[in-house]
Amino acid sequence: MGLARYVAARTIWAALVSFIIVTVTFLLLALAPNPSISQAATQAALEGGDPATAVEQQEQLRGLDQPLYVRYMDFVQGVYTLEWGWSQNRAQPVTEALWQGIYYTAQYSIPWTILTLIIGPLVGLYSAANMYSWKDHLATGFAFFGWAIPNFFFGIILLVIFGVWLQWFPIQYDTSVPVFSLANAHQLFLPVFVLVTGSIGAVMRVSRNESAEFQNADFMKTAKAKGVSPTRAYAYHVMRPTMVPLSTTIVSQLLVIFLGSSLLIEIVFGIPGLGRVTFDALINQDTNLVLGATLLFTFIAVIGNLIEDLVFTIMDPRISFDDR
Amino acid sequence: MATQKPTKFDQVDWDNLTGSGRFKISINMKLLLVTGVPVLLLGLYDHFLVGDREATFVRLGEDLGLSSQFEALGLDFNPTSVDILFVFTIFLFLWYLVLPLYQNMRMTKYYWKEFKRNRPAVISLIWLTIIFVGGVLGPFFVAMPEQDLFAAYQPPVFGSIDQVHVNQCVGEISDGRCQGTWEYPLGTTRGGQDVLAMVIHGMTVTMQIAFITTMIVAAIGITFGTVSAYAGGWVDEIMMRFVDIVLSFPTLLFFLLILYIYGAGLGMFILVFGLFGWGATARYVRSKALSVSEEEFVKATKISGAGTYRIVRRHVVPNTASSIITQLTLIIPGFLLAEAQLAFLGIGDTAVPTWGQAISSGRNAIDFAPWIVLVPGMALFLTILAFNFLGDAILDALNPEAEAESEK
Repeated sequence: MGLARYVAARTIWAALVSFIIVTVTFLLLALAPNPSISQAATQAALEGGDPATAVEQQEQLRGLDQPLYVRYMDFVQGVYTLEWGWSQNRAQPVTEALWQGIYYTAQYSIPWTILTLIIGPLVGLYSAANMYSWKDHLATGFAFFGWAIPNFFFGIILLVIFGVWLQWFPIQYDTSVPVFSLANAHQLFLPVFVLVTGSIGAVMRVSRNESAEFQNADFMKTAKAKGVSPTRAYAYHVMRPTMVPLSTTIVSQLLVIFLGSSLLIEIVFGIPGLGRVTFDALINQDTNLVLGATLLFTFIAVIGNLIEDLVFTIMDPRISFDDR
Repeated sequence: MATQKPTKFDQVDWDNLTGSGRFKISINMKLLLVTGVPVLLLGLYDHFLVGDREATFVRLGEDLGLSSQFEALGLDFNPTSVDILFVFTIFLFLWYLVLPLYQNMRMTKYYWKEFKRNRPAVISLIWLTIIFVGGVLGPFFVAMPEQDLFAAYQPPVFGSIDQVHVNQCVGEISDGRCQGTWEYPLGTTRGGQDVLAMVIHGMTVTMQIAFITTMIVAAIGITFGTVSAYAGGWVDEIMMRFVDIVLSFPTLLFFLLILYIYGAGLGMFILVFGLFGWGATARYVRSKALSVSEEEFVKATKISGAGTYRIVRRHVVPNTASSIITQLTLIIPGFLLAEAQLAFLGIGDTAVPTWGQAISSGRNAIDFAPWIVLVPGMALFLTILAFNFLGDAILDALNPEAEAESEK
C-alpha cells in the first residue's frame, strides 16, 4: 500500500469515527427528556393550561413526534451540512456563535501552538546536549512543574501577582483592541504563557529522552569524524529522527490542552472564546449551542488524531505501509 | 488429563502443581471474598432497600434488630455508593497489590532498594500515603466543613489579614491586623468554612477518583488488551479499531454533554471517565502481552500442555503487571485534573467538597485572602506531581532497561 492509499484509508476511517460519535450523541439526546419541553410543560401548568397539550405542541414544533429513524436522518444531515440550529440565548445561528468564539480562541491558540512547537523541541535538545548539567536539571524541573500544575490554578496565581499586585498586565480582557496590536499581545501574554508552560513539559521530556538516544548513535560518530559542525550535526542528524516520536507527543499534547484547559483559561482570563461560549451555553441551558460546541470540539479531536497519525507516517520514511 | 503416563517426563501434571488447581482458591482470593463480598452486599442493600433519605447503617441496625448496639457503637454512617465502591477497591488494592509485595519479600526488597535511590519519588510516596490515610480516615475524625459567617476569612496560623475583611477575629488583633489561630490552622473561607477540613474531605474525593476510576480502567483495559493480543487475526483488528474509537472520544466534553442532558454527580464522573479512559491502557497491555507471549518461557509452557487461560493468567498478566501499574499511575493525574476543572467551573458534584471547588470559592478573595486558593491548589499540584514522580520511579525500579532513557 502506498502513502496515498494509506492517507486515504486513514481519512475515511476518521470520517467513520466522526459518524459514530455523532450517532452516540444523537442517542444520548434522543433517550433523554428535552429540558426545553419539560420547561414548556411547567410553564403551561403554571399558567393554568394543560401540560400534556403543551408537551405535544412542543414536540410537534421540534419534530419530535416523528419516528426515531427519521429524526436520526435529519440530525445527521443537519450535522454534516452545518445546519446546527438556532442559539436561543444568543439569538443567532449556532455556527455564527461558534465562529465568533473561534475568532477569540484563535488569537491566543495560534501563538501558543507556534511557541510550543519551537521552544519545546529546542529546549529538549539543548537539555540532551548538556545532560546532567544544572541547565538540564533546571529545564527538567521546569518541565515537571509545567506539566503538573493545573493550568487554571497557575493562571489565577499569575493574574493576582502580575495583574492585581504588580499591575503589569491588564486584568480585564478588552475585545475592542485590534488583533495585530501591541495591546492585544500585552493582554494575551499571561494566557499564552500559562498554556505554553502546560504543554511544553511533555514535549521537552520526550525530545530530551529521544535525542539523548540518537546523539550517541553510530551515525553521529561518523558525522563528527567527518567534521560536521555541532549545530549542523544536531539540527540534521539528531533532530530529524527525534521528530518522529516527538510529532505524536506534540499533537496529542496540544489537543489535550486545547480540549481540556483552554476552556478554563478563557474563564479565568475572561476571554469570550469558544470555551466561554460553551460554558455560557451550559449554564443557560442552550441545547443547540451546547450540542454544536461539543460536536465542534469532537471534530477537532478526530481531525487532530488523524493529523497525529499522518504526520507520524510521513515523518518516518522507514515505515512500510504493508502491515497497516 | 495427566497421571496416566507418569514415566513421561515432558508432560506436566498441571492439577498437581502447587496452587495451580482450577478450583483451588489462593489466599488473596479468600481474603477478597471474606472482605469484599460483604461490602458489595452492603452496596446492593444500600441501592435497593434503603431509601434516599435514610442513613444506611441506621436502617441496617433496624433490619437486623440491633439498633441499640449500633447506636452504642456510634454506627450511624450513611455511605454513598461511591464510598462503598471505594472500600471495595481498597480491599482489592490490599489483597492484590500490597499482600503480594509481602508474599514476595525478596523481590520487594530489591524493588525498594532501586526505588529508594530516587529521592523525589520517596517524598512523593510519603505525600500520597498522607493523602491516602487522610482521605480514608480523615472524614471519621474531621467534620464536614460548615458555614459559620462569624468566622469568615480567618487567616491561617502565623498569618494575618487586614481587619476590614474579617467580621470577627478569633485570634488577637494587633496593628489593625487579625492574627491566625490554631483553631483554624489553614484559615477559613468567605463562608467561614475551615480550609483544613475542606482539604481533608477533598483528599477522600481525590482518592476515590484515583482508586475507583483506575480499577475500572484496569479491569476493562487489561481484559481487552490481553484478549485482543491472544485472539489475533480479525478479532484483534476489530477490537483495536474499537479502541481507536474510544480514544477519539474527548471524554471531558462527552462528560459535559452527559452532565447537561442527565445531570451528574461524582459517581457518574467516575463511571464516564472509567468507561472512556481505558483505551490507552488496552493498547499498552496488548503490546506488552504480545511481546511477553513471544518469550521462550511462554513457548515452553505452551509445549508442556498448558491451556491459554493458564498461560494468560499465570504468565502473561504477572509479567506485564509492572508495566501496567506504571501506566496506570501515570493516567491518574488526568482524572484528578478533569475533576478539579469541572469543580472549578461549578458544574461538578456540589454535594462533595473537592479541591477544585475550594479553589473556585476563593477566587474573588484571592488578593487579600490568598490561602483559600493556595492551600487546595498546592495540594492538587503536589498530588499530581507526586503521581508523575511515582510513575517514573516505578518504571525505573521495575524495568532496568528504561533507566538509561529516563535517567535523571
